[in-house]
Amino acid sequence: MSSVTQIAPTPVAPVAPRGRGRRRRTRQLGWNVLGLLVLAVMVFPVYWMVATAFKPGQQILSYTPHWVPTHPTLSNFRDAVHQPFFWDAVKNSLIVVSTVVALSVVLAFLASLALAKFHFYGRKAFIVLILGVQMVPLAALIIPLYILMSRLGQIDKLTGVIAMYLTFVLPFTVWTMRGFLLGIPKELEEAAMVDGATRFGAFVRVLLPLVGPGLVATSIFAFIQAWNEFIIAYVFLHTPEKQTLMVWLASFTTLRGTDWGPLMAGATLCALPVVVFFLLVQRRIAFGLTAGAVRG
Amino acid sequence: MASVAESEFPLVSRRRRRFSRQRLGRTLAPYALLAPAATAIGVILGYPLYLLVEMSFEKYGLFELIRHKGRWVGLANYTHILHDGEFWRVLARTVVFTAVTVTLTMVLGTAMALLLLQVSRWLRVAITTGLVLVWSVPVIVAVDIWRWMVDYEFGVANWTLTKLHIGNFIRHDWFANPWTGWGVITALIVWGAIPFIAITVYAGLAQVPQELLEAAAIDGAKPWAVFREVTLPLLMPIFVILTSLSIIWDFQVFQQIWVMLDFRPTNDYYTMAIYAFHQSFQISEYGLGAAIAVVMVLFMFGATLVYLRQMLRTGEVQ
Amino acid sequence: MAQIELVHLSKLYGNDVTAVRDLNLDVAEGEFMVLVGPSGCGKTTALRMIAGLEEITSGEIRIGGKVVNDLAPRDRDIAMVFQNYALYPHKSVYENLAFGLRMRKVPKSEQKRRVEEIARILGLGDMLNRRPAQLSGGQRQRVAMGRAIVREPKAFLMDEPLSNLDAKLRVQMRAEIARIQQALKVTTVYVTHDQVEAMTMGHRVAVMRDGELQQVDTPQRLYDAPANLFVASFVGSPPMNLFEAVVERDNGRLVCRIGETELELPADVAADRPALANYAGRRVAVGIRPEDVREASGWDGARLRGRILLVESLGSEQLVHIEIAATPLERSDLVDTAAQPPGPSLGVDDLERAVTLLGRFDRHLLLAPGEAVEVAIDPRLLHFFDLETGVAIPTVDVPVAAEVVS
Repeated sequence: MSSVTQIAPTPVAPVAPRGRGRRRRTRQLGWNVLGLLVLAVMVFPVYWMVATAFKPGQQILSYTPHWVPTHPTLSNFRDAVHQPFFWDAVKNSLIVVSTVVALSVVLAFLASLALAKFHFYGRKAFIVLILGVQMVPLAALIIPLYILMSRLGQIDKLTGVIAMYLTFVLPFTVWTMRGFLLGIPKELEEAAMVDGATRFGAFVRVLLPLVGPGLVATSIFAFIQAWNEFIIAYVFLHTPEKQTLMVWLASFTTLRGTDWGPLMAGATLCALPVVVFFLLVQRRIAFGLTAGAVRG
Repeated sequence: MASVAESEFPLVSRRRRRFSRQRLGRTLAPYALLAPAATAIGVILGYPLYLLVEMSFEKYGLFELIRHKGRWVGLANYTHILHDGEFWRVLARTVVFTAVTVTLTMVLGTAMALLLLQVSRWLRVAITTGLVLVWSVPVIVAVDIWRWMVDYEFGVANWTLTKLHIGNFIRHDWFANPWTGWGVITALIVWGAIPFIAITVYAGLAQVPQELLEAAAIDGAKPWAVFREVTLPLLMPIFVILTSLSIIWDFQVFQQIWVMLDFRPTNDYYTMAIYAFHQSFQISEYGLGAAIAVVMVLFMFGATLVYLRQMLRTGEVQ
Repeated sequence: MAQIELVHLSKLYGNDVTAVRDLNLDVAEGEFMVLVGPSGCGKTTALRMIAGLEEITSGEIRIGGKVVNDLAPRDRDIAMVFQNYALYPHKSVYENLAFGLRMRKVPKSEQKRRVEEIARILGLGDMLNRRPAQLSGGQRQRVAMGRAIVREPKAFLMDEPLSNLDAKLRVQMRAEIARIQQALKVTTVYVTHDQVEAMTMGHRVAVMRDGELQQVDTPQRLYDAPANLFVASFVGSPPMNLFEAVVERDNGRLVCRIGETELELPADVAADRPALANYAGRRVAVGIRPEDVREASGWDGARLRGRILLVESLGSEQLVHIEIAATPLERSDLVDTAAQPPGPSLGVDDLERAVTLLGRFDRHLLLAPGEAVEVAIDPRLLHFFDLETGVAIPTVDVPVAAEVVS
């Protein structure tokens, strides 16, 4: 993955009110105005994409911008969806993503079990490996990867892409799952074992249910990474029938010149699943890479 | 080793010290669990890393590609790029670009986090949601949005900037001039990077114990002094992690430039990643590309070390 | 050094939660005032309002005669010791102690002098370069105290500083804090939920409940003359025995009927409590301290018959739980529920009419559970309370205590 998106917790801590009486109210108002301004500027590009997607052609290609789509239309979406290879791209993305999610969850769970619950020779080395390997730039690795994949005959094949996505997602998912597992007190497992379960039985009956949210969060993360990925898909999938949505989107302009309306519509569609899931997951992950970093 | 393994399984009888199938199974269990993931990482991340270094010492053109084997040339690739003026220009550009983006991201992101502290709760929720929204937008989508916003003829940014009398940007090709072109790219990347920094720093700010801030206030510190003396030092580990991560990510920027410039960036827009890619996939000199990539990795190595050390400090101590 | 005045102080959260209700309290210069009460009684909120960490909904706070409502905490010249010490974890002990001085731009040499002196007094002299994480709980507590002392503020505010220490350390630190305060003569407001701490440390103690001040008085007077049922049940360990009785007039004399037993109230007792006459024919609440519950041999006054439920040997004395026939207090909302002795045992004929009396008996007496026993009740030692309001029926020789709340 070109950038491993780390997910941090959503803070919910309250802050003590400061200042007294009337002075405090005007100061608060000042901050709020600034906050609204900042919010508007930050979110504007996203708004602009969606607004453009719903605007008819004349409102898009006009020298003065139309800030609000006064005559919303679905024609851009129709155009986008009717582009050649759109549905192929959708199919490919779905295949790749679902396989990656399924496999990564399983592999990450097993690996994190090993890391969290056992002490063994090479554990620290593996942890360093996981953390370090995330740092190797994809743009650098893609070169030997291409060579390797061509030796294995995996150029222009979805299986190759799946394998690569899986591997790139693993370090972060293993690390996150490990964190979740560490958060479960050992006493629960021990209680289960005293109650008659075997070690494995304790895993299944006690850990699995508790780690459910972690599995969900991990799979959503894998989904987002796989869905958004571009570089690998671009380099390894050559025939248009095999390409994923991101490649389709990036190639949209070069094929058709600048057809902004349908492009924005296509972009909106491509972004939609991820945005929805992202909004779902950002509340559920209990901690991110900064938990415990602040020494109190 | 035996005592460690036994401490993990307090209920296993310790009297049977002979070789037992159960014990063997237990000791091997972690390796078995780890094997699939480790294999995947080893094959697809580990081996290519080794391959990268090996290739950097080889001539690997189209001929070699077909034969699936490179030709050893020792340090020839490295001498070539180190004597190439283009390489140094690209390296310098990448370093400067990284410095600018990381600084902007960290400063603006932290400012955003501080702003989050000051606004009313409803606005805090709204801003956080907005930040997550921006964060969730896929890179390719973001690139397309910004291309549209700075479009030559109908870009809304052009119109707005002109209306604000910052200059005349109507019918302005931002990418004709590398300075403005890089401005757009930087803005795009910083825009996409701020949410993560802002949310993470805010989470860190929220972890600062309220009592410490109150104690400092009672001890006579003005708000800025409280931030400088109490909050900032406590937030240092987070800043170290975030800055090193940002350096690592910004140094290897590729997609945004590649797609923004229609897969055909001119020399002025080369970063290390694009340069390496160009050498490999466009000129088919995979060996040279590999050498450039190795230099790139080495450059990031320092930042990676810092990041790893900090992560281990906070991650293992659990 | 300055006095602190709380005038009609109130704190409301939202529209419905009243944390502090119309608090009026004066802390004299150099006085050690303890705010005590169960959790949620508003004592910490009041303290934080004095510090400036909470906004005041209504009322005034004056420090040294000056109204400080609108002053930021740093401008009030007060020092605070927090329950969790709030030591700056990344600063050394020296830097922690010197922080307040640095903020007020005290010259470096003066900082050094004061910090080293305080460190010496508190026994922290050779720890000045350590970080808080390297100190024990007791040492951290002393650094927190030192940080407050070194600033020479107008007043100390302490928010349950001993709660995080183990029992032995707490006893030790209690004495140290009291001694330091006496030596420095700094006005101190000290918040705790532990009534033993309150009694042993304070010049005066303010008992609070549900945001309202119940009584403020010296520890001894709180003990001897509680203003209402809550204070009576809260102060003192083991707690005062409380139950119902009926006041009756019999041939011109007042008697108090506990269960089936009639206690004649001597003339002096009745004369000391003129208001008691108004309660003739009515039920009242009656209280008697465990140490006033004595074995009846040699007592020719009124006796209560009972059965021993449990004997707890403390070494120095015996705590005996005795079941007597009396009506328990049904208004449990008027007392400190945490302080109630265990209820009656099983096997009692009429559960409504049995009360467990706690008595402190001499350690040499041979007492066993199940035995019948007779208990001496000296009517002069009884406390009487109105059953509706919980307010004490006042005695004339004790002047009405300040700030009595019904």
